[in-house]
Amino acid sequence: MSKKNNLLFKGLIIIAWIIFIGLCIEAGGLIVNFIFSLYNPEFIQNLYQKLDLSELYNRSNWDFFRIYSFILIISMMKAYLFYIVIRLLSKLNLEKPFNSFVSKQITRISYYTFSIGLLSFLARQTVKSLPNSGYEIDQLNQFWADSQAYILMAAVIYVIATIFAKGVELQNENDLTV
Amino acid sequence: MPIIVNLDVMMAKRKMSLNELSEKVELTLSNLSILKTGKAKAIRFSTLEAVCKALDCQPGDILEYVPE
Repeated sequence: MSKKNNLLFKGLIIIAWIIFIGLCIEAGGLIVNFIFSLYNPEFIQNLYQKLDLSELYNRSNWDFFRIYSFILIISMMKAYLFYIVIRLLSKLNLEKPFNSFVSKQITRISYYTFSIGLLSFLARQTVKSLPNSGYEIDQLNQFWADSQAYILMAAVIYVIATIFAKGVELQNENDLTV
Repeated sequence: MPIIVNLDVMMAKRKMSLNELSEKVELTLSNLSILKTGKAKAIRFSTLEAVCKALDCQPGDILEYVPE
């Protein structure tokens, strides 16, 4: 493995850790806000990053919990996705990358990315279809603005995962050639 | 797999141990063991040549086709 690749991978691991910690803080903040808002509805005016869903809550509790569940699930899945990326990057051996662990992790990344994209798309459509949508939905867009990007990324990663699975097969065959 | 490896039979006929064969054909014990137990998916011509030379036999003595 060249020094350049080594350095690049160390950099990638550091970036993945930073993103993971950021996403964990976001998901944690949202969960804590959610628990607080269950006991004290006044808290809904000032959720994570000044998100105000009080109007939505006042009009329909069901809609509030539905939308907030989407926000929570998506943010938790994003954090978990980066956890898988960190595990993959830290266990990847560039000298011999074709093994079943790496193949499984890449496949899992593609599934999670697709799920996040699909959920983001569903959440966006749900918010759009809310009756009398006079809510401030712009502030919600930050949680699912990139649904198409996630779906596209999932497709690309799935192709890579399929190629990788074939690579693992070839590696096994090579290992069993005497 | 319908290809059977009769390496152990030939080794027994020549009264040769796995260690001895491994030294003669310059293959690791683990690779020879993979070949002997039939776990190998392929064999290089160079390996086959070395084994045949060491055991003084023909490829047909080591490999056998048995229809499933």
